[in-house]
Amino acid sequence: MSSLSASNALHKTGDLAVSVNNLGLTYTTAIDRRPTLKARVKSLGRGTKQTRVVQALDNVNLDVTYGQVLGVIGTNGAGKSSLMRTIAGIIPPTQGRIEVFGKVSTLLALGVGFNPAMSGRANVHLGGLAAGMTRKEIEEHFDEIAEFSELGDAIDAPMRTYSSGMYARLAFSVAATVQPDILIVDEALSTGDAHFKEKSFNKIKELRSEDRALILVSHAMATLREICNDVAWLHKGKLVSRGNPDQIIDEYQDFLHLGKSSAIDEDL
Amino acid sequence: MSAPLQVYEPFRAGLPPLRKYWRSLWSRRTFIAEYSRSELREQHFDSIFGQLWLILNPLLLSGVYFLLIVIIGGSGGALRYGHLTASLFLFYLISNSLSGGVKSVTAGQRLILNTAFPRMMLPISATVIAFFKFIPTLFVFLIMRTVLGLPFGWEMLWAIPIILIALVFALGVAILISTINVYFRDIASFLPYLIRTLLYLSPILYEASALKPELRILQHINPLFALLDSWSTAIVHAQTPELASMLAASGWALGVLLVGTYFFLSREREFAVRL
Repeated sequence: MSSLSASNALHKTGDLAVSVNNLGLTYTTAIDRRPTLKARVKSLGRGTKQTRVVQALDNVNLDVTYGQVLGVIGTNGAGKSSLMRTIAGIIPPTQGRIEVFGKVSTLLALGVGFNPAMSGRANVHLGGLAAGMTRKEIEEHFDEIAEFSELGDAIDAPMRTYSSGMYARLAFSVAATVQPDILIVDEALSTGDAHFKEKSFNKIKELRSEDRALILVSHAMATLREICNDVAWLHKGKLVSRGNPDQIIDEYQDFLHLGKSSAIDEDL
Repeated sequence: MSAPLQVYEPFRAGLPPLRKYWRSLWSRRTFIAEYSRSELREQHFDSIFGQLWLILNPLLLSGVYFLLIVIIGGSGGALRYGHLTASLFLFYLISNSLSGGVKSVTAGQRLILNTAFPRMMLPISATVIAFFKFIPTLFVFLIMRTVLGLPFGWEMLWAIPIILIALVFALGVAILISTINVYFRDIASFLPYLIRTLLYLSPILYEASALKPELRILQHINPLFALLDSWSTAIVHAQTPELASMLAASGWALGVLLVGTYFFLSREREFAVRL
């Protein structure tokens, strides 16, 4: 697959792609699911606090260079997704500083920007534009996307008629076509059946290149061992350790007291 | 071209770098167009009957209100009907922008949580959609005023700057209300009452000149008054609207847009956490 980004050649292996310094993130979340004027008026003068404070990230320092494929691991609630969102510029940090050198694309959830009432074809355009591609780029890559998704004639049917597997396949195909300098993938690899998993796994491998930085969040340890050349382990908002994938993943699995059970290794 | 450098730091209340924001908004214009189009298509406005409904709905409404005026006010006439219909159509541009804009940010939750983009795109799309719905009604009115035998004249061209002012106003209120709705989700339920009140306070069911002297204050406190008055003068009566009215309308529109934009931009980085 040809590269979409003309600026790719600018980055040399070893150049800094992302620099995270002393990052802290606290959420002040509303306890009410829906904050309303009514609730606010009711609580007037009662002095009740409507919010809860959550420390999602605490003093995280992390540098990612071009050519690196960084796996991010940790238990649920470790702050992995929060870290990805701050790097992508979706959530502003509460403390510290993040520098990003290059064009970032995120694959945090599949099918973002899709409209289920419309055909797969229209959604390829919509999703591609949402991901920052131009109309021309989408036209050029349309056949490729359609073929990769293996949808066949269904591409012209409305997406609400799709099975969840079909939906995910199309979403992944669109996302994988955007070729940014820095790609952030959050748990998006576990889509479709075994055959498509294998295909998307290979696609990610293909995206690894000298002039690109990849950050993958996953619980699929076997995948991370194979793809990554660096792993960072987060726990309760703090960076526990970082380095050689095999070593860090072993430590992590010892920590979980799970050892190398098949449940972890198989989960791609 | 050097690699673009992005720095993310804790934000204090205030605006993001405006030029950069504008540039990234501009680069997303095709997405805004496509997003609006897909919303319209979802509401079936790409089919013939969908389009027809778009025209039929305000026409039926103007018919109902005309009935009301004739029964209560005891007077009819082509001019009256023309004024009512034209004013209602422009009012609908603004009220559609309001009701589409109110949930634009909260409904875009998935998009906001997973992609970095200028959030202002969402209320802008709401206004674009409202404008697309407005265009066919404009043609309907032009046909209708021919049938009604209303006078034609070059002065009607004043309608063009007035539509622009109305768009600025519509965008301003969409941006403002979408921000408010993030913090107070029940605003959407108050909105129909607000719109209804605004409808009755505006010179739509009556002409501005017919207003009682003791109610003249409405002219100054209703942001839509001057706009709708100028609109009717230009497109119904084919006369040049008063300069004072045009200036007042522009002032309100720009004021609302500035306040709304400031409010939105200084808050938008917090939206992801609030949704």
